[in-house]
Amino acid sequence: MIAQPFDYAAPESLSEALQLLASAENARPLAGGQSLIPMMKLRLSAPSLLVDLGRIADLHYIAQTNGSIRIGAMSTHHQVATSETLRQNCPLLAEAAGRIGDVQVRNLGTIGGSLAHHDPAADYPAALQALRAQLRLVSQAGERTVSIEDFLVDPFTTSLRPGEIVAEVIVAADGPGTGSAYLKLQQPASGFAVVGVAAQLGASNGAISLARVGLTGVAGKSYRARAVEQALEGKPVTAATLSGAARLAAEGVEPLNDLFAKADYRAHVARVYTRRALEQAFARTK
Amino acid sequence: MKVQGQQSLPLDAQAAWTLLLDTEALARAMPGCEALVPIGPDEYDMRMKIAISSIQGLFSGRVRIDEKNPPLSYRLAVDGKGKLGFLRGTGLLSLAPETGGTLVSYTGEVQVGGLLATVGERMLDMTTKMMIRRFFASLAGQVKA
Repeated sequence: MIAQPFDYAAPESLSEALQLLASAENARPLAGGQSLIPMMKLRLSAPSLLVDLGRIADLHYIAQTNGSIRIGAMSTHHQVATSETLRQNCPLLAEAAGRIGDVQVRNLGTIGGSLAHHDPAADYPAALQALRAQLRLVSQAGERTVSIEDFLVDPFTTSLRPGEIVAEVIVAADGPGTGSAYLKLQQPASGFAVVGVAAQLGASNGAISLARVGLTGVAGKSYRARAVEQALEGKPVTAATLSGAARLAAEGVEPLNDLFAKADYRAHVARVYTRRALEQAFARTK
Repeated sequence: MKVQGQQSLPLDAQAAWTLLLDTEALARAMPGCEALVPIGPDEYDMRMKIAISSIQGLFSGRVRIDEKNPPLSYRLAVDGKGKLGFLRGTGLLSLAPETGGTLVSYTGEVQVGGLLATVGERMLDMTTKMMIRRFFASLAGQVKA
């Protein structure tokens, strides 16, 4: 189908883009367009003005400063997946990005666009929950930094205010002795996660010094599996510790029940994939 | 799809009953509700603007309340149509006293059809439940405010 008529602007500066977004009631920012454009073609979405963020150089970068890595919102999934900075210092995020959709989606889709759209089965949230990422949001009113947990409110709903965009994602570089893994069971057609598990483990002297686990696709919103983390931290690294903790992966959440997976099956897959992700993360600790 | 859930209200049964039938309170609690206008006893015209992510749609239709059994239960029926499709739902709301207030339980059936259902199948279950949760949370929020 063909989208309804709309105005289009491709500003080259962030301030100009923010001004345009505030100028029309129904203006929408366009990032990679991998979700927005199909919705417009289906006429589910009919913005009056599209503000293309693609030409804003200030939103394209992946840079490390001290212990943190800052990722410009217009970085594509492919750029995140192949960034040497991330592969060396935060491989979990690169691995999750490499598992998104298909080649075309990875070449065009962006990290900022994916987060702002907030599909509850998207891959990034699992990794970013595990990494305790921070997001820098900007609007004409100024900027603010929020945690990924506060940013993701409900399915397809974030704490972005009208006229505000995601400008940057900030993650900490891995400490020494850290290993991580992202595993998912995906829907064959869309590539979206039925269950996606991001795990990060740190071990020292045979004990688990750091355990971080994020899940996506399981419930209406990605989440940190705090029960799993608590069952791991400070414990000796044994197969029994990992599998025992993984059993708590769907604790306290209401699993989705749909055509692709019934609720109890989803919860089961969440537990199995969490165990495998933990085992793989541990195998990668150096 | 079936929906069910519970919400605690810090009100006695009579006050909770009054709130659950207060047109203005209901209009404020319904996500995206732009108008809820009485057109007869226990029957209203409603207009809702739904905005989820980039999807925006205007729905208009009727809200009806029947099987009133004060202050214990009533049945709420919503029937709306828009460019994006239709939504139809009925639910039974029942009130039961609990410590510190009243527990409102709901159970019902929601149908969504048309374009929205055809292309958005993967999102329907979770977004419908989210909107119902928001409705009750917002009602509870109004009591505290």
